[in-house]
Amino acid sequence: MKFLRLYKNDQVFKIALGIAIIVIGYIASVFYSKMQKLDDSVELIATSNQTQLELEKLLSIISNYETYLRSYIITKDEAYLKNRFLDRGEIERNFSRLNKLTAHNPIMVRDIDSLKVMFDTRFAIFRETLTVARIKNADKQALNDLLLKGTYLTNKMREHVYRTINDEAKKLKVLNESHQFELKDSMISAFLLVILSLLILLLSFNRMNSDINELQKANDELKFLNHSFNNAEKVANFGHWKLNLKTNTYIFSDNFYRLLGVEPQSFEATPENVSKFMHSEDFDYAMKVHLESLQTLEPTSVMIRYTLPNGDLKYINSVGSFMQNSKGEQVKVGVHYDLTEQYKKNIELEDNNRELQAINEELESFNNIVSHDLQEPLRKIQMFISRLEEKEGSVLSEQGKDYFAKIRAAANRMQSLMIDLVNYTRTIKGGRTFVKTNLNSLLEQILHELALNIEDKNAQVTVGNLPTIKAIPFQIEQLFINLITNSLKYSKEDVQPKIKIAAQKITETEIVHGKEMTEKRHHKIIVSDNGIGFRQEYADKIFVLFQRLETDSKYSGTGLGLAICKKIVENHNGCIAVKSKPGKGSEFSIYFPKNN
Amino acid sequence: MITHKDPIHILLADDDEDDRNFFSEALAELRMTNKVTLFKDGKELMDYLERPDIRMPHILFLDLNMPGKTGFDCLREIRTNPRFKELSIAIYSTSSAEKDIEETFVGGANIYIKKPNDFSKLKKVIKDVVNINWQFHSSGLNKETFFFSI
Repeated sequence: MKFLRLYKNDQVFKIALGIAIIVIGYIASVFYSKMQKLDDSVELIATSNQTQLELEKLLSIISNYETYLRSYIITKDEAYLKNRFLDRGEIERNFSRLNKLTAHNPIMVRDIDSLKVMFDTRFAIFRETLTVARIKNADKQALNDLLLKGTYLTNKMREHVYRTINDEAKKLKVLNESHQFELKDSMISAFLLVILSLLILLLSFNRMNSDINELQKANDELKFLNHSFNNAEKVANFGHWKLNLKTNTYIFSDNFYRLLGVEPQSFEATPENVSKFMHSEDFDYAMKVHLESLQTLEPTSVMIRYTLPNGDLKYINSVGSFMQNSKGEQVKVGVHYDLTEQYKKNIELEDNNRELQAINEELESFNNIVSHDLQEPLRKIQMFISRLEEKEGSVLSEQGKDYFAKIRAAANRMQSLMIDLVNYTRTIKGGRTFVKTNLNSLLEQILHELALNIEDKNAQVTVGNLPTIKAIPFQIEQLFINLITNSLKYSKEDVQPKIKIAAQKITETEIVHGKEMTEKRHHKIIVSDNGIGFRQEYADKIFVLFQRLETDSKYSGTGLGLAICKKIVENHNGCIAVKSKPGKGSEFSIYFPKNN
Repeated sequence: MITHKDPIHILLADDDEDDRNFFSEALAELRMTNKVTLFKDGKELMDYLERPDIRMPHILFLDLNMPGKTGFDCLREIRTNPRFKELSIAIYSTSSAEKDIEETFVGGANIYIKKPNDFSKLKKVIKDVVNINWQFHSSGLNKETFFFSI
């Protein structure tokens, strides 16, 4: 891993490459000098061989002369003396060649010189012997002496030559050995050189290859990034543009063109060309903001309407800000967001809002009609009924009195219906502010208000410790009034009604209408009674508008009371549920969020 | 100040003829020695009140929804005129809308009566209101006591 890291490091790689080149250079120079030496030794060997040859030639010439001389002495035939006998020229040529070959070797030069002296002496003896031999009846003793002297000298010369040759041979042997060694050394050097070169070549190639691969990968990634960016622009409906302030050149992205409803890069990137698409009312302002920003270098944001070639109107938010490119030149980079859809949706929302407001106003006037205009004649009817009963009641028959009671009951029912309807519509209307409400003091007030009803039924109402919640007070008041009157209304005739209102801990998470209720986040308040109750399967029905379970005329309900309760609890982001058993009573659970 | 010597002078401004009749009938049945003056709209009421020769009445029962000059208009005019500062005003309306109660309370009315739907209740209301110790009522006036529950 460490090696791989070093291998990846550019600096390390460069240093290694430099060292390798120096090593190769050194080895190459060593190799060159070795080769040079090798060449020298080859030449030396050749010279030495040549010298030997020349020396042996000299000896053989002397031998020949001796043979010729002896043959003449024996036969006295002059012919033996003709054939180049004692030709000094040949000897001289031999010596000059030897001198040339041994010029660099001072020992050899000395040896050759002494050999030449010996040659000269031998030649002198040859001539003396020949002179003696030509004389008729020559002194045999003198001839013998001369011949012996000559043979002795020849032997001496031969000895000298062979010594010289031997010396040379010894030297040659050493030279040869060193030559062999040099040859081996050079081969090893050459081998090392090749291996090293190969190694460096391989490493470089591998490194280059990986570099190229990395470059290719980076290139691919860049291409992909570019591609995805282009796609992102397309998907997110935005385009971008750049302005180099120094060169005053613009660049528009592909999607910039698409936003204008034209093919990418279909016109030259200039503000003039873009302004042709701009809505005439927006042109001046947009250009002014843009040109001013080029002076102040402040970011810009303008909403511009563009008319596309197909006539569509686009709402585009153009934001721009300044930065510096790699050359330090100021560049304004801008993004065009297509806000047409949002803008259209906004308009739609505004329309819906207006419609809702109108509906609300209608509801308000309906409310007024119910609370005033409809109640007015009804109240009159009730007044006249009471007047008639009081003044003319005594003259009515029993049946007439009965009818009158029914008229009064119907009118009263109509009145309570109207009051409940008004209450219900009041819970629908929004815009109520939440205030901290102490439920205990609120209930005290409610019980005071309901004192007559409670007294009528001889009911027992107990209130436990209740929390303070953020609420719309008049709605919460309505909620408890409705729940308590509901319990009073559906109480058993022969049993004292007992109503209990208390806060309850949520010991484990409860699911109410699909929502999780926890102690941490919710208050739970229980309103329970010992009334007639109902079957649990009707639990959801009782909260529905105008749904009544009891049709018996002794239970006079409007079917609105609990629907109002549900609405109020929902207005407080809470939940209401009920558990009930026929003949046992009902238990309403109200949940309020703790943090609202 | 209402003293025992003065017969209590009661005014009623209501555009509804039936209501005016119920009101005077109720007063008659109560056999109280009162003087009652009825007006059929706000303008008539104000014209009367602004006459310099009248003796200041004691209690005004004022309907809110009247054509032309409404009960709210009358309340404002009366309460901005220091001459009428002794006049007790009982709002007498069909509406029990919180908005109306709030507005008249702030406007300086002394009590708010929702028109009853039973004649005996009407008699009780009138009797109670006429017999209120106004000074005591006004000094302890708050929103709870302002709305008169029967």
